[in-house]
Amino acid sequence: MSSSLSIDNPEAARQAADEFRAVHASIREEVSRMMVGQDATIDGVLAALFAAGHVLLEGVPGLGKTLLVSSLGKAIHLTFSRIQFTPDMMPADIRGTNVLQENEMGGTKLEFQPGPLVANLVLADEINRATPRTQAALLESMQEKQISVGNRTIALEEPFCVMATQNPVEQEGTYPLPEAQLDRFLFKLVVGYPAEEDYRTILRRTTSNNEVALNPVSNAETIIRMRQVVRSVPVPDHVETEAIQLVMATQPGSEYARPLVNEVVSLGASPRGVQSLILAGKVRALLDGRFAVAGEDLKAVAPDVLRHRILVNFHGMSDGVTPDDVIQEVLK
Amino acid sequence: MKETEPSQLSHDLEIVSMTLASQIQSQDRGDFIRDSIPTALQLLIVMPLFAILVQLFRWATGVSAGWFFSWTSWSLLTVAVPLTWLFARVLTRQVEVSRHRALLAADKQIGSSERIATADHFMRRPSRDGFMQAAVEDAADWVGRAREASLDEESVRRSRSFLSLWPIPLAVIGLLIAAFLTQFARVPLAGDPSLPELSSVTDAISMTPEPLQPKQQPNVEELPDPDPEKEPPPEQRNQRAVNRQGSSGADIPDEAEESSGKLSEGETRESQQSANPSSARGAPSTSGQPSKSGEETKRERKPKKKQKPDKEREKKPRPQEEKPSGATAGQGSSKGSDNNAAPSDWASTSQAATPDDEDIEDEEDVADEEEEQESRGGVQPNLRDRRTPVNRDLQIGFGNAQPNPDANGRGGPGGQKKSRGVASLVLGVPIPDRVNGQPNKGRIRITQQRITPEAEQSNPVAAQDRLPRQGSVGPIHHPDFSPWLQDFVRRYFLERRAQNPLQASPPKNTTRTTPQDPLQTSAVAESDTPQS
Repeated sequence: MSSSLSIDNPEAARQAADEFRAVHASIREEVSRMMVGQDATIDGVLAALFAAGHVLLEGVPGLGKTLLVSSLGKAIHLTFSRIQFTPDMMPADIRGTNVLQENEMGGTKLEFQPGPLVANLVLADEINRATPRTQAALLESMQEKQISVGNRTIALEEPFCVMATQNPVEQEGTYPLPEAQLDRFLFKLVVGYPAEEDYRTILRRTTSNNEVALNPVSNAETIIRMRQVVRSVPVPDHVETEAIQLVMATQPGSEYARPLVNEVVSLGASPRGVQSLILAGKVRALLDGRFAVAGEDLKAVAPDVLRHRILVNFHGMSDGVTPDDVIQEVLK
Repeated sequence: MKETEPSQLSHDLEIVSMTLASQIQSQDRGDFIRDSIPTALQLLIVMPLFAILVQLFRWATGVSAGWFFSWTSWSLLTVAVPLTWLFARVLTRQVEVSRHRALLAADKQIGSSERIATADHFMRRPSRDGFMQAAVEDAADWVGRAREASLDEESVRRSRSFLSLWPIPLAVIGLLIAAFLTQFARVPLAGDPSLPELSSVTDAISMTPEPLQPKQQPNVEELPDPDPEKEPPPEQRNQRAVNRQGSSGADIPDEAEESSGKLSEGETRESQQSANPSSARGAPSTSGQPSKSGEETKRERKPKKKQKPDKEREKKPRPQEEKPSGATAGQGSSKGSDNNAAPSDWASTSQAATPDDEDIEDEEDVADEEEEQESRGGVQPNLRDRRTPVNRDLQIGFGNAQPNPDANGRGGPGGQKKSRGVASLVLGVPIPDRVNGQPNKGRIRITQQRITPEAEQSNPVAAQDRLPRQGSVGPIHHPDFSPWLQDFVRRYFLERRAQNPLQASPPKNTTRTTPQDPLQTSAVAESDTPQS
C-alpha cells in the first residue's frame, strides 16, 4: 500500500476533492453504460468501494446485481472473481488450499493454490445459499483483509471489496447470513425495479447486436488514493455526537431509544455501525462539494448503513415493522 | 484567501450567532407564551370561583358586601391573576441560546448544510489540516448570506389552535355574572328557614346550634348539587370513605346520611368491605347483574340453591354404601367411586353435598373465589374442584388399585415404560407399546443329515515320468530398458569380462549376443556370475 496521503493546505484539499469527484463520475458513467435504471445502487456500490467497505445487494432475480458488480470490475481494471455460492461449497473452495506439488529435484512440497477470494473485487453471488461454514470463511477476509490457510496467513491485495448478492424471495434451502457477517457489510442496498423508460433502454441495449464494451477508466492505485482522500475528510464534534446518538437510538434499552425501538427491536447497531456511518458520510460530503461531514449526510446514508444491523423481534415482525421503519422512527 | 479573512470570518460568525440567538430567544419566548396560554385561560376561572365562595360565605354569615365585593373588582382580579402568572413565568424563564445552536439555525435557514457551524467549530481548534481550512474558507460565502438572512418565523412557529378552550372564557363570564347577581340577594340570617331556594342549605345549618362549625362545611359544599344520581367528585368520595372507616360515621345525623345517597354508591369493593364487614361476608358477586342490588340477589339466589338439592335427593336417593376407589381409598377427605376412574361430573350423585355444606361452601366459596379471581386479575383455576384427577400413571398392567411391585425405584424403567414415557403425555397421540420379537417355535424345523466319512483312494503322480513342455511358452515380456541403462549394464559386464577373461568365457549353449539386445546381454551376464 502506498504511503499515507498528507493534505496540509486548503488548495491540496480542494484538488483532492476535485479528483475524487472526477474519478467517481468517470467510473459511474462507465458503469451506467452497462447498468441502466439503478443509479442509486451504483452510487451505493461506489460509495462502499471508496469507503473501503463491502456491499450486500439484495433484490429479486433479473435486476442486474451480478451485472453491476462485474461491470464495476471491468471499469476499474481490478482483478475480479466471481463465486457462485452453493450448498456444497467448502471454505477451501473460496480461500484456496495447499496442494502437493513436485519440484525440479524430484521432491514434493505443499504450495498454496489461491482461491477466488484472492482478488480485488469479489462477487459473492447468492451468498445465502452457502452453508454457514463457508460463509464464515469470508469473515476474516472481509474484516482483516487476510486469509488463513493451515499455518499460513496471506494478506489480500488492496483494494479488496466483497460484493455479495442475495435473493429475498427464494428462501428455500438458504442459510441466512449470521449477524457477525452482516455487520461486516458497510451497506445493504435494496435493488428495486427500474422505471418504465429504463426498461426501454435495457431492451434496446440487450436485445440487439450492439454490445456494450466497457473500458477501464481507473485502477487500483487510484482507488487506494481516493480512499485516503475520503478518510482525510474531518468530522465536527456535533456530527460525531449525532452519529453516536443515532446508533445508540437503535439499541433497545439505551438512553436515546424511542418506545418503538424498545418494543420491536431485539438487536441494534454496533460500534461498527458508527464507523460505517461516518465513512459513508465522508463520501457523501465529498460528492456534495463539502469538506466536512454534516448531519444531513448521516441521515442520508443511515438507511443503507443500519438496515442490516437492526434485528426486529418476533413481535415487530408480526406487526409488519421492518428495520427501515425503525430507522425512519429514529431519524425523526 | 488573505490572512485577515479568518479574523473577519470570526467576526462575521460572532455577529451571525448573536443575531440568530436573539431571534431564537424571541421566538422561543413567543412559543413559551403560546404554550402557557391554555394554563392562563384555566387560571381565569380562579377568581370567579372565589367570588362565588365569598358570596356564599356572605349569605351564611350576613357580612355586608362593601367595596371588596364589587363587580369591577372581581372583573379586574379575574384578568389580573392569569396575566400576573404569565408575566412572572416569562420573566423567570432564562433561555440561553448557545452559539452552536444559533449557527445551526442559520445553516438551516439558508440551506448551507451545516457549513457555518462546522467552520465555527474548526476555527476554534488550535490546529487545522487542509480539509479543515478548506471547510472554513468554503463557509465564508455562506456566512455573508447568513448575515443578511433572518429566521423564518413561520417555519419555526408551531401552529396551535386554542379553539378547544372556548368553554373556559364562557364559564368565567357566567361565574362572574352569577357572582354579580348574588350581590343583590338578601343576606340570610342565621337560623332563618324561610328562604325556599336555600332550604337544603339551611336544613343542615339549622340542625346544629353553631353554624360555623367545621363539621357542617362538607354538607354545605354538597348541597349545591341538586341531582342525587350524580356522582360526587373523587375527593369527596374518598373523604366519605375515610369518614365511614373512622368513628365519624356515628356523628353524622341520619338525615344527612340518607340525603347523600346510598352508602355503597361509588365505592370500591374493598372500601365497602372495610366500611361494613358484616354485609360483605356471604354476599354473592353482583357482577353481571347490574339491575339488582346485592341484597336482592342474595335473597333470590338462596331459595333456588336450596330447592335444587331437595329435588335431586328425592329422585336419586343416596347410596348406603360406597366403595372407595383404589386411588383415593383412605387418602384425604375426597370421595371417590370404584365405578369410573375417569373424571366425573361435578354434580354427580356420589358427590352430592348436604344442604349445610352448600350453604357454607357454595355461597361463601363462590363469592370468595370470584373476589379472589377479580383481585388476581383474571379467572384462576378452581382449587376446590373435587373431581378425580387425571390418571397420569405410566405403569402398565396393574391399574391404580395395585401398585407395580417392580416399580420400587431400583433397576430403572422397563421397556414398556420407556416406550411410552414422555411421549404418552402428548394428548391424542397414540403411542404403541414396543413388542419384543421372539422366534416362532412351531414353524422352524432343524434337520440333520447323518453321513459316515469314508477314505478316498487316489494314485500318486509320478513326477519323473513327466515330459517337457511341447507347446509354445507363450508371449514373454521383454521390458525395454532405457539406452543409458543398457550401456551401463553392458559396460559393467565388459569390465568384469576384461578383469577375468578366463571366467568370462561364454557358456556352451549361449548364442552370440549383440549390443542391441540388452536383455540377452544381461541374461548372459547373470548366468555367468554364479559360475565366477
